[in-house]
Amino acid sequence: MRSEMSVFSSLGKPGFLSEIQAFIAITRREWTIFRRYPSWIIALLIWPLIFPMMYILTGRALSGPDGSGLAVFTKTTGATDFIGYIVIGTTVWMWQNIVLWDVGFSLRNEQMRGTLESNWLSPTWRFSYLLGHTGPQIISMAMFVLITAVEFGLLFGVKLHGSIWLAALVMLASIPAVYGLGFAFASLVITLKEAHAFVFLVRGLVMIFCGITFPISLLPGWMQSVAAWLPQTYMIHGMRAAAFANASLTDLWPDLRALILFGAFWLTVGYLLFTWMERRARQTGAIGQY
Amino acid sequence: MQTQLLSRPTLATQLRALFVIARKDWKVFWRYPLNAVSNVFQPIIWVTPIYFMGKAFSTNGQATGFAAYSGTGDYMSFILIGTVLSNFILTVFWGMGNALKEDMDAGVLESNWLTPVSRLLILVGRTLTSLLTTSITSLVMLAIAAALFGFRPTGNTVAALLTTIPMLLGLYGFGFAFAAIVLIMRDANTIIDVSSFLVQGLSGANFPVRSLPYWLIPISLMLPLTYGFDAVRGWLLKTSTLLPLRTEVLLLIIFMFVTLWLGAWVFYRVERRVRTLGTLGQH
Repeated sequence: MRSEMSVFSSLGKPGFLSEIQAFIAITRREWTIFRRYPSWIIALLIWPLIFPMMYILTGRALSGPDGSGLAVFTKTTGATDFIGYIVIGTTVWMWQNIVLWDVGFSLRNEQMRGTLESNWLSPTWRFSYLLGHTGPQIISMAMFVLITAVEFGLLFGVKLHGSIWLAALVMLASIPAVYGLGFAFASLVITLKEAHAFVFLVRGLVMIFCGITFPISLLPGWMQSVAAWLPQTYMIHGMRAAAFANASLTDLWPDLRALILFGAFWLTVGYLLFTWMERRARQTGAIGQY
Repeated sequence: MQTQLLSRPTLATQLRALFVIARKDWKVFWRYPLNAVSNVFQPIIWVTPIYFMGKAFSTNGQATGFAAYSGTGDYMSFILIGTVLSNFILTVFWGMGNALKEDMDAGVLESNWLTPVSRLLILVGRTLTSLLTTSITSLVMLAIAAALFGFRPTGNTVAALLTTIPMLLGLYGFGFAFAAIVLIMRDANTIIDVSSFLVQGLSGANFPVRSLPYWLIPISLMLPLTYGFDAVRGWLLKTSTLLPLRTEVLLLIIFMFVTLWLGAWVFYRVERRVRTLGTLGQH
């Protein structure tokens, strides 16, 4: 009897295949929820256009009726395409912003719906919950970027003066950093509960320091030092160079290397924070609290 | 058979209800002090890229291109005024629709609806605290922004403040209509987000509307807020206005009466429909 009691046998038989199945199930569920609320279509079509538009129209006002201001801007930034310059900066900001809300609040939303605790009891690798949220998110963001490119290409005549593949490569290299930050954030949100102010802080840092509408060289020295520690600075610089300055792979390498290093750092931080949060939540019983 | 109401609503009870709603919101707001900090710093964060972008367009600190459109090269004062006014616009635009959504989610909308208080008054009550907190946070924001970017109003502050009154009251009419949309759609976040962003943008919150592409200018001129932004800047910064200042103020007063009447009419029509369908408590 004693020997029987000492050996606990789980009914679940988790293996690699079952983990893949769980990941697919989570991804499918997220995709179904995403499609269930059709207002995303409006958001997906309109936001890529109107958010950069506000900066573009401000730039137009700063240019003056004779375009004299634009000549100064071109000289300062070296940008040949003012609209494309702004669109890339603002799109990177929107990407990080959406990831913070979507991936960062994914576990929190489960908690609010009351399903987090029951999901936590299933014999699945718990990190799958975050990864499962990420799959549909990456697809929707790819659609977002594509729609941005099409809308500005058709409506404003923005043309690529570089390689679409290299621009895509910079985006690909950015994924670990962007989503690693999202994972770290998700773990903090589940611990701190109401963390809207932190989203505002992180996206605010990107907005102020990363040069979404201006070259970093215009910032004071200390602000440039801060910018050097933010991966979005390299994303914006790399994508602008790849799309509009005809940069080669060698030219892009410093940005790509920084993005890969930041990606490894943020993925590790994201995973470690997740395991810490998971252990702490089990010990304190806080997983179902909200 | 004659029905007799147990409640005796008077002007005093209505005002008391208004005060109670505002006090409750005041307590809730200060329960989350980080929100107040966020309200101060968010607008500063949003205008910072414009500040540096303006530098990229300026020669020796002078935005001459901007001055040709607006009549002032002080683009940061121009934008900061737009930002403060936008804070108030958002309060009224979002305030009432969001408050209804919060009450729906919390499950208290139906019970609030049963009280013998005017429903429009319930909506107005939900904006009072927001207006007060927006005033406080906007003043702090303006003080910080003035230190960081510079803010130099040289004109008539009293006239500018008086001009904002019909503009804000007119916005209540818009707010009532938006609250009606929330009652029908239950979740109107995207619509409120997009429309308030567009309306603010096209009214010239961040730039003179003269600089808009020619096909957008007629839309901008049809929005009453355009004249509000323009007139307040005209008083404070002595910018060149679209119309004579007195004409713009007159337009704002007409806008106030029309939108208040129209917004209240739409709200009551929709509210009756929702009560008939029995969907008031659904969310």
